[in-house]
Amino acid sequence: MKISTKLALFYVSVLAVFCLLSFGLTAVLRSVTAGYGALLNSPVRQIDEARVVQVDFKKQVQEWKDILLRGHNPDDLIIYTKQFHTQEDRVRMGAQALYAQVQDAETRELLGQFIAAHAELGQKYEQAYQAYVAGNADFKAADKIVRGRDRPPTDLFDTVVQRLDTLVGQSVRAQEQSARNARNAAFGIAGGLLALMGVIGFLLVRDIVHRLSRLKAVSDRLALADISGLTIDVTGRDEIAEFGNSMKGVHAAIQELLHLSSTESTVKV
Amino acid sequence: MGAQFASYYEKVGSEFGIKGRMKLALLTAIPSSSASTEDDSPANIQKFEQAVAQIRKTGAS
Repeated sequence: MKISTKLALFYVSVLAVFCLLSFGLTAVLRSVTAGYGALLNSPVRQIDEARVVQVDFKKQVQEWKDILLRGHNPDDLIIYTKQFHTQEDRVRMGAQALYAQVQDAETRELLGQFIAAHAELGQKYEQAYQAYVAGNADFKAADKIVRGRDRPPTDLFDTVVQRLDTLVGQSVRAQEQSARNARNAAFGIAGGLLALMGVIGFLLVRDIVHRLSRLKAVSDRLALADISGLTIDVTGRDEIAEFGNSMKGVHAAIQELLHLSSTESTVKV
Repeated sequence: MGAQFASYYEKVGSEFGIKGRMKLALLTAIPSSSASTEDDSPANIQKFEQAVAQIRKTGAS
């Protein structure tokens, strides 16, 4: 194979390797980005929503306490009752939305228990509210009905948040491991391909330089007409081989000239 | 072996002199001194035939 063809093929191979590496690294980058995107769109968003529900539930309990404390004033009673129901609705809808999104069985079960406990608590709050209004702001009677009832749902939802937090941690660690694996694979493949191209390039250049240096030695001897015992060993079919064959012709011509001159000298003697 | 290569040198030498012999050596890479030891293979014979034809066509210079 000709040197020009070898060099062209090597150049094309280097270009192909870099194109492949570019595509490969882009694919790895997309995969890592998609992984983090999925992480943000699912577990991270779920825990954010869970914390919103958690805060809403605490606000709902706070609104209930406001009713008990300030509901003796009719205007305040209207305001805090409305805010209480608003928070109650937000908690219920938030928990149901979360239940629909979450796929982890344990978290779904906890959320189901919370939704049921929250509904039951709502009925108790309603009874207590009726007692409060009927008793003319009798907060003691109302509080007696619901006292301590908000603890189990609160604890349940705290467990939900902890569970989701654990899931997020696991997902983040899995994603980090996946990104590390992708990075190591990309470095390994890129390094391997570059090393391969380096070795091929080195062998190609070494072969050319070695054969050229041998031809240069021949050329130096021909320039001095020092052809005694000179042999020109030509291998391959490339430009260097063609150059070597030309050298053989020059060598033969010098040999012929020397032969003729020695023959002529002999005839003269 | 290679005896007929010497005859090519004789022919070219008689027609074109020393320059012709040198050009034949240059084109075939086989000098007359080693013509007798070279293998008279079809490839070598063709090489000499083509070289002689070229010298006759373009001259020895």
